[in-house]
Amino acid sequence: MRYDACVIGAGADGLTAAVALARAGLKTIVIERNSQVGGRCSTREFHPGFRASPFCDELPSIPPPLYWSLGLAQRGVLFVPAPAMLVDRDGIAIRLSGDARRLLAEAAQLRQAALARAAAEAAKPPARRSFFSRPAPARPWPGEAWSERALSDLLGERVADSRAAALVSAVALCGRAADSSLAGSALNLLAPAMDGSGVPMGGLAALAAALEGAARGAGAEISCGLEVTDMRRNGGRIAGVGLADGTQIEARAVVSTLDMKRTFLSLFQWNELAPAVAKQAAGFRMGGGTARVLIALQSPPAQAPGPERFVYFVSGGQAESSAALSACQAGTIPEAPPAAVRLVSAGDPRLAPIGAATLTVTLGCIPFRLFDGAWTKEKRDVLQARALVAADAVMPGVGTRVLAAQVIAPPDFEDALGRSEGDLAGGDITPDQMFAMRPFVEPGGPPPPRTPVDGLYLAGPSSAAGPLGACVSGAVAATAVIADIGAGRLK
Amino acid sequence: MSSAPYDAIVIGAGVSGLAAAAYAARAGKRVMVVEARNKVGGLCETARFGEHFRAPVAAHALYALDPRVVKDLALTRHGLAFAVRDMPSVGLRSDGKHIVLPRNLAAGTRSISIHSRADADAYGAFWRDLFALARAARTLWWEQSAGGERTREMLARLGYRSASAWLDSWFESDALKAMLAFDATAGGATPQEPGSALQLVWRAAQEMCGLQGAAAFPKGGPGALAEALLASAQAAGAEIRTGAPAKRIHANGAVAAVELASGETLACRAVLSSLSRRKTLLDLAGGVSTGFAEAAALARARPRVGAAKVLLALSAAPPFAGVSVPLAGRFVVCDQPGGLAAAHACARAGELPEDPAMEMVLPSAADPGFAPPGQHVLSVLVRPVPLVPVQGWPALKPKLVERVILALERHAAGLARHITAAEALTPSDIEYAYGADDELGGAATAARMLAPWASRVKCAIAGLYLCGASAEPLGAISGRAGRIAAVTLVAEQER
Repeated sequence: MRYDACVIGAGADGLTAAVALARAGLKTIVIERNSQVGGRCSTREFHPGFRASPFCDELPSIPPPLYWSLGLAQRGVLFVPAPAMLVDRDGIAIRLSGDARRLLAEAAQLRQAALARAAAEAAKPPARRSFFSRPAPARPWPGEAWSERALSDLLGERVADSRAAALVSAVALCGRAADSSLAGSALNLLAPAMDGSGVPMGGLAALAAALEGAARGAGAEISCGLEVTDMRRNGGRIAGVGLADGTQIEARAVVSTLDMKRTFLSLFQWNELAPAVAKQAAGFRMGGGTARVLIALQSPPAQAPGPERFVYFVSGGQAESSAALSACQAGTIPEAPPAAVRLVSAGDPRLAPIGAATLTVTLGCIPFRLFDGAWTKEKRDVLQARALVAADAVMPGVGTRVLAAQVIAPPDFEDALGRSEGDLAGGDITPDQMFAMRPFVEPGGPPPPRTPVDGLYLAGPSSAAGPLGACVSGAVAATAVIADIGAGRLK
Repeated sequence: MSSAPYDAIVIGAGVSGLAAAAYAARAGKRVMVVEARNKVGGLCETARFGEHFRAPVAAHALYALDPRVVKDLALTRHGLAFAVRDMPSVGLRSDGKHIVLPRNLAAGTRSISIHSRADADAYGAFWRDLFALARAARTLWWEQSAGGERTREMLARLGYRSASAWLDSWFESDALKAMLAFDATAGGATPQEPGSALQLVWRAAQEMCGLQGAAAFPKGGPGALAEALLASAQAAGAEIRTGAPAKRIHANGAVAAVELASGETLACRAVLSSLSRRKTLLDLAGGVSTGFAEAAALARARPRVGAAKVLLALSAAPPFAGVSVPLAGRFVVCDQPGGLAAAHACARAGELPEDPAMEMVLPSAADPGFAPPGQHVLSVLVRPVPLVPVQGWPALKPKLVERVILALERHAAGLARHITAAEALTPSDIEYAYGADDELGGAATAARMLAPWASRVKCAIAGLYLCGASAEPLGAISGRAGRIAAVTLVAEQER
């Protein structure tokens, strides 16, 4: 069976790519390892009657044009906005100040510009490489001005109120283990794990279902429960993929939504890649540091410092966050990890039985590898206890209402989603990776999301557009495939 | 007020100030150097230490002296000689498996292979790559031509990289990576920060004694370099006035005069300041508009960490464990590449790092004049340390010495027994004694390292030039900024 395009992974990015490819009239197949589509966009019943999205509550925002062109509104994907509030250890809440909002708006503008740039580069098929061709001088990448700024410096300069600054910092670094006082950490503002766009009604699975409907409606094939294990090549160019059950699927182009490490280090034989490419993929640094605790409550908490559907960031100030970071770097569970607490059932009552409530806690600075061994039951219990302490700071008395809880430790993200080292952002957010390696921005090389392997395109978290918005990197990769097929580069 | 105005007044008689004065004077300018302390040399100072020892007080090895300055100013004729022209770098390991990296690549490879075969193989290629990059970068850094488009692009790309990521892409053994990463902390950054890879290139670009990437020790210590420069400047006709701190730069559109702390005002047509950009523009020229944006940026840009110096007098050679190492070397004590980041975080929080990263030189091994026969003096640079510790430096100073001795004891068991005297110089001592508000003229960011020369040497005030460490891409004792500032001044005055 020969396809025009094969998409690896049926997450938001993969499905978006499939929609765009199928709409362009290309015969497209999406291959997903899990039995259901969605990837991190999934919602499960973790305790009878209690549902939550296990891996994240919210995605970075989908740019409005993409939202409309995918027909998500018609398919019933509605977002419930979730503004952010900061809760100190003593339980007082604060909202974003005007200057903090302006800074976040500026970050959003830079993100839009960066995405527009990524789409523009994807749309122009690369010229055939000739000996005499000179690389075009790189225009400044949007956001480059922040590449040397420390997040704490930028906030000190732009946000007058130190607690509002702490809130912005908590939002930007949510679920990551990054030092806000190091140069370049300001880039985290461009790639937040959540940016207040909100939770889709029905959980993230509703978004995945809508995208699946759109993809099938456009004519793409989606097969779940199949795992891609290797790339088939023909004369240096991608000819298709091989599946775990031995099936071969021929395709002119392959779009991988796996992260950079998994794409290049696990789908290719050790001698199939040029040494420089393998070295670059191996040197790509993953960040991560996220853990999640899903909690079923027998009754809604008595009081919260603000509206219940808000996201509450719990932070104990600079000293506590640097202690958490050094604990994480040493491979231990921090005493007081930064946390984001969200009563998901307040925004969407379908996620809990009547009279009960569902709470999620996202913890940051949690090491992927513990210095003293594996993530055992005891270690997970420690995480659960830390999460409850954070939840208790926001909503006093929560601890007495717990019916059940599920802990998702960093290795679980790798096992369930295939995200290397549990990094949902697909790599460290540092200038070298954002500007020079996401992925393979080489002078004279093919413009991203193309890779040094002809016919292989990288979407997903590790691509240039990956951490900047949901669904976008799939659309960008599809643009590149369509442009290259149109230019006759993929026979 | 003297009758005729000086063509140029140089503030600060450190290496760069003296070099600038010598260049301007040789071009026929009437030059006066004003120095706050009672002696010249700035951070290049060799002083008595204890009764029988001498020691380099601040800087203890030169790695960046511009060969053109040595040649143009005939420093050899004025008494500059080198005791060691090429100090091997030694990465001390507590397990005794030291890494010795002389310029001879093959010899270096041998000691690396104890730690990792693959690293030994990669080292040669890394070295060639680094040196080729460094040669390309020179055109940008110190030839007035701007360098090619490709060089600029290549360096800008490297500007995003951190030294640790770059080293990780080459090597696997912590021992080698930690040792090389130490050089990337010179600008007060951690090796994890973007731009720190450029610091490695900057270091490799230097041609100390005509040898790329070498470190050298002058006969008589760094103070001898200052003496030679002084002799050269005076021979060219520059006037030197010590004990005369500058208080204010008067300017009215263009520089008009320098007011000394004594109240005396020296009229001049130009000022070459070897103080930091921040001190020059905010403190000395405070009344003159430097531009709001620049003033605000300078006021914000405080360095985050500093460096301290510990001098130890030893009654015997340090008994380094394990394989024998050349004593006239430059020793780097840094066990883990991650340790530098941890130490940096600790120093930023105002605490003394548990496990200090250090660079050591044994001046007495290079030049026997520094200690009585059989005895030694050990000069230890500790970096990073907090600039303003929580406990305050007076309380922390004994602890600093203690930590250093403890760390040394791990690499040379029994060394503590040989110590006969110890002295420490903290960042606040350095600021107090030398007026260097941060050891190296400000944090080294990629933006600063890639900025064109003119933006570092010149400023908004006409006739005011910076010739010190802040006019360098990365602060160093090179004299190069002095040369370029003086040449720029001469060219502009004669236009």
